[in-house]
Amino acid sequence: MTKLLNRPLKAFAFYALVILLISVPVYVLVVDHIWISELDENNWLTLQHTKERLETGVFTREDLEQINHIWGELLPGVSITKTNEAAIRPDSVYEILRPHEYDTDDGAGRFRGLVSYLNINEQPYQITIETNVEEADETLLAIAIVTFFFFILLIVGFILLNRRISARSWRPFYQTLHSLQSFDLNKDDNLHLPPTDIQEFQELNQSLHLLVKNNIAAYQQQKTFTENASHELQTPIALLKSKLDLLLQEKEITPEIAEILSGIEAPLSRLSRINKNLLLLAKVENQQYSDKEQLDIKEYVGAALILFEDYLNNKNLFVRNCIQDSILINTNSFLLETLLHNLLSNAIRHTSDGGQIRIELQNRTIFIANSGKQALDEKHLFDRFSSTSKDKISSGLGLAIIKEIVLKNNWQVRYHFDNGFHTFAVSF
Amino acid sequence: MKILIIEDETALVQDIIKYLTSEQYLCEWASDYQTAMEKVSTHEYDCILLDLMLPGGDGLSILNQLKKQNKQDGVIILSAKNSIEDKVKGLKLGADDYLAKPFHQAELAARIESLIRRKQFDSNNIITQNELSIDIHSKTVTVNEHPVSLTKKEYDLLLFFIGNKNRVLSKGALAEHLSGDFADMFDNHDFVYAHVKNLKRKLKESAYGDYIKTIYGTGYKWEQ
Repeated sequence: MTKLLNRPLKAFAFYALVILLISVPVYVLVVDHIWISELDENNWLTLQHTKERLETGVFTREDLEQINHIWGELLPGVSITKTNEAAIRPDSVYEILRPHEYDTDDGAGRFRGLVSYLNINEQPYQITIETNVEEADETLLAIAIVTFFFFILLIVGFILLNRRISARSWRPFYQTLHSLQSFDLNKDDNLHLPPTDIQEFQELNQSLHLLVKNNIAAYQQQKTFTENASHELQTPIALLKSKLDLLLQEKEITPEIAEILSGIEAPLSRLSRINKNLLLLAKVENQQYSDKEQLDIKEYVGAALILFEDYLNNKNLFVRNCIQDSILINTNSFLLETLLHNLLSNAIRHTSDGGQIRIELQNRTIFIANSGKQALDEKHLFDRFSSTSKDKISSGLGLAIIKEIVLKNNWQVRYHFDNGFHTFAVSF
Repeated sequence: MKILIIEDETALVQDIIKYLTSEQYLCEWASDYQTAMEKVSTHEYDCILLDLMLPGGDGLSILNQLKKQNKQDGVIILSAKNSIEDKVKGLKLGADDYLAKPFHQAELAARIESLIRRKQFDSNNIITQNELSIDIHSKTVTVNEHPVSLTKKEYDLLLFFIGNKNRVLSKGALAEHLSGDFADMFDNHDFVYAHVKNLKRKLKESAYGDYIKTIYGTGYKWEQ
């Protein structure tokens, strides 16, 4: 994954490199061309000047040899030599590589020469003018170095500019991203996005606002619906229960009717439980238990074990409570009680007769383990109504409530199965 | 004994009245806030059953009214809300007890009986049932002056039975009475058998009559 702003930077850098690489030979050709045409012009001017003077002046053969000798001594680039008629050709330009007279370290130097012919005293002479030119490879090297230097300058500039742009123009985008990342439908009732003067970001923020607003509304609606629905169900359930109580008092209840009546009681009790739990879940979600105080886990576990004593004894369950030290946590007492009751009642219900329940407390984490045979499906364990067992009494909400309580308190709950023990661990 | 039921759910009120009238209770009924306020300020009741969600007003303000008038009526809040805040608020305002809907009629009867008993100072807090007497204060039970040693649960059961004489009590109602709110977390209430069995045995050993009858398939009944 690359960051958004690094991608164009890479492309820009690559493009700049290609263009600059192409530019190097082009520069070399252009500079060389200018060099050479300038030199040729210079040679030609010198030639014209020299020719004119030689043709208008009166020189003997000896004079000319003298001049050539002096030129050879003083100006090694110019020479005049006698030639014959047959060798006369039009003016020509040549290039030659030969060692410098003085600059011997540099290896061979490049020379540009102009050859011309003229008649002095009716005699044909050849005149040569030679000038040192910068070698093409030296030009190439110099231009390459300069180009590379500018390339580095360009990249540094790109990076700095990029940083500035990212810090300025993209700031609202990153703020929006951050807001979205930290948004929690469970906790927040609004998405706070920073104002921006960039049109695209403004549009993005508006769309996000609308989207989140609709989501929050739908979520709220769902929560209120659950709460209202379970409220409405309370009364009919209460009526069913009281009618059943009255029915039991009837004088002429045959064993058959009695059996049907007790068959009604169990599902009614389950219905009541589900409804109660849905209501509880909705209330926990709506943060209705926000009073917090310092509570001792040890005390609460002890109290819960006393409450469940009958059920433990009835199934001959062996409880090993290894909690020794008191640990204080800051939370709502009803929620802590509900959490522990749910964990323990789960453990009791799902352990077969004569099984074991182990309670431990380590580093602010409580482990409640019960013996069992098969690991549970961890993925959907904490979902609503995902009960993996065919347990008739389960409301299917116990673990969902545990998860919700844990979430509201910023705790953590984990499940693992090992050595024949289901373990639920809650870290406070 | 006069009982006022402040509750808008007609069918539920009828059930409560039906269950309670055979005891020596006289039940009156107010189905809305206005009627309830009138009845409360003009009459005295031994016990008021108060639903917090009433048409026309908040049940908690009826409690306030009672307190202002310095009335001694016992109040049991019946609430479908089952919220801790309401419970705490109600008890702070002077309610004597709180029962969340849905409840068993037997539980309500036992609560009413216990409340009225607490309010009667002349009875010395002793319940007498044939040769059996129960001292509510010291929580001791004697048969013909001989003490019977009961566990806390057996003692609770005994009071529950006496508060619901001649009524069939289902296992569920007994379990809920013993374990409270979370009895419905479990499907097996067999432990109730054990406690009832022990209670019967202990009473029998003290030469007390065998009043607790097992009703096939449904539960138990204190017959007298």
